[in-house]
Amino acid sequence: MKKLTVYTFIVTFFLLLTSCIEEQDFDQYNDLSVVPVLESSILYLEATEDVINNVPPGPFYSEDFNFDPFSEEFFSDRVLDGVITYELENTTSKPLTLNIEFINDADTVLDVESFTIEASPSGTFQRDVTYGNSGKSLDILRNTSKIRVTASNNGDNTSTSTVTPPLVTLKSSGKFSVRLK
Amino acid sequence: MVFACFFATGQNKQILYDFSEIPQALLINPGTETDFKWYSGVPALSGISFQAGSSGISVNDLFADDGVNFNDKIRDRLINGMNPRDDLSGTYQIDLINFGYRGAKTNNFYSFGIYHEGDAIGYWFKDYAKLAYEGNADNLNNRFDLGHLKTRGEILNVFHFGVTKQIDKKLTFGVRGKLYSGIFDFTSTKNRGYFVTTEGENNLLANTINADLELKTSGAITLDHVLDEEASATELIKRGFFGGDLGLGVDFGFTYYLNDQTVITGSVLDLGFIYHNTDVLSYSLKGNATVEGVEIILPDDANNPNANFWQDLVDEVEELVPFEENRESYITFRPTKLYGSLRYNFGEPVQPKTKMDCDCRMPNKSSNRIKYRNSVGGQLYVINRPRGPQAALTAFYQRRFGNIMALKTTYTVDKYSYSNVGLGVNLQAGPVNMYFMADNLLAYRNIAASNYASFQLGINIISWGKN
Repeated sequence: MKKLTVYTFIVTFFLLLTSCIEEQDFDQYNDLSVVPVLESSILYLEATEDVINNVPPGPFYSEDFNFDPFSEEFFSDRVLDGVITYELENTTSKPLTLNIEFINDADTVLDVESFTIEASPSGTFQRDVTYGNSGKSLDILRNTSKIRVTASNNGDNTSTSTVTPPLVTLKSSGKFSVRLK
Repeated sequence: MVFACFFATGQNKQILYDFSEIPQALLINPGTETDFKWYSGVPALSGISFQAGSSGISVNDLFADDGVNFNDKIRDRLINGMNPRDDLSGTYQIDLINFGYRGAKTNNFYSFGIYHEGDAIGYWFKDYAKLAYEGNADNLNNRFDLGHLKTRGEILNVFHFGVTKQIDKKLTFGVRGKLYSGIFDFTSTKNRGYFVTTEGENNLLANTINADLELKTSGAITLDHVLDEEASATELIKRGFFGGDLGLGVDFGFTYYLNDQTVITGSVLDLGFIYHNTDVLSYSLKGNATVEGVEIILPDDANNPNANFWQDLVDEVEELVPFEENRESYITFRPTKLYGSLRYNFGEPVQPKTKMDCDCRMPNKSSNRIKYRNSVGGQLYVINRPRGPQAALTAFYQRRFGNIMALKTTYTVDKYSYSNVGLGVNLQAGPVNMYFMADNLLAYRNIAASNYASFQLGINIISWGKN
């Protein structure tokens, strides 16, 4: 027992005296890459056929509205690439054109996404627009502070759809890679 | 990232526990049976302890020069490898003043003093890290749990006075009253909620936040001013001497001899609270909101050509989930600790120190107790932490070499390590008492790979002189 005790303490002290640390490379932190992919809806537009029929054929809606998220410093400084998905569905009885214009602070139109959709039944139309890499320039988004939505009726203003409810909808979402580190 | 959440909580002092040759053992069991006439800790040097632990990952896991891509290590070992019960914790304690003396009734021993303590714990905020690392894309319907943010920490001074009373030949009981003087505190332990991205009702996607988050702090403003050199450090020192938050607490402990050689002990420490009512600054984020982007629904929205749809959306979310500050007082309960042990003494008796010095053993019964050369036993330690009680089991062997040296070696199993071997040395050179203890010694082969490290040391002057 006495020997065991002595040996135990000798070994323990030996471990203490021989403590060491394997080589660490803290510079590895510089290699850290944190690039989350963020996704969110952007814009939803809905118009009933009544709205379209209330005005003569041609433009029935045009609106500029402030849209800052793309020009926010957090996003504009860090975005690497992304895609905006548009989804249109038209259950009205007339063909329609929809324009989405990206506008900067000087009211200059930076880019236009134009959609033409046939009268019902036209199904669901989807378009993916890529930005960065081989897609459109990210500067379009970075400098966008305003969006103009214009909708035009390319048909008559008397017919009514047999589909319930008769309306046109534009859905959109963005999916972007953002470098945090 | 792992170090960004550096927090801690109370230290398991399994080597010091029931080491009755050392006065500081009274601080973790006021019912420790001692045979001192009096002792005095060397101010600021009588009890220094430090502990740091990480239950999920070590420095070596991330920074070893092993040729593995650092981003792979972060993803596999940190983001996906750790779970929300893993924590990073640490604590330190420094005895500022520590005295003890035996009363006129020799069955009573009184001890008192002041110690400074800092402790904190931070659990791995897994879902926050995952959201920041991966983002919400490709995580459709995956709820990110906002309750993963769970942390608390404090810096305080503790003023204490304890009485250890030998009830009879078998039982010694002790109680210690504590007055807490809080310097700095932060607590964020009752968070709930989630963030989730789902298929939208109108639009393609819906982002929903349901949050009930709160961070309470006291002393943070003063600390911030001191760090910015806008205030002197004395402002913080004042807070530690009754100029800040105050609280009350109590410790209990006992030693009971089942027979001459078999002893059970137990203690409950820091049953108490601190009332934070000075320099309080708290933040909350509470509410529920679902966002599907800017919505324009005609004809309703056509009638408002000046509408700022984006700003309206931002305002609506801020109204539904407001981020607010307040200065309301709050109470925190101290991390209560529980110790228990079963000890068996055997081997040749060691001559009592009192007899060796002057043959003037005190007449009380405990000082006449035979001390054996060897002790072996087991200990239990439980601490109340934000995610529930956390336990450690220890087996120990203690060896006394006359009255000049005692060694205690321990093997402890807890959430940090299954191979924690510790060693404590107590040296008595005349009236000068010195001790040093460290554990998880096997990890010293590569300290960077260690998940746990702690040490305690101190110097005291002890008298066994005539009563």
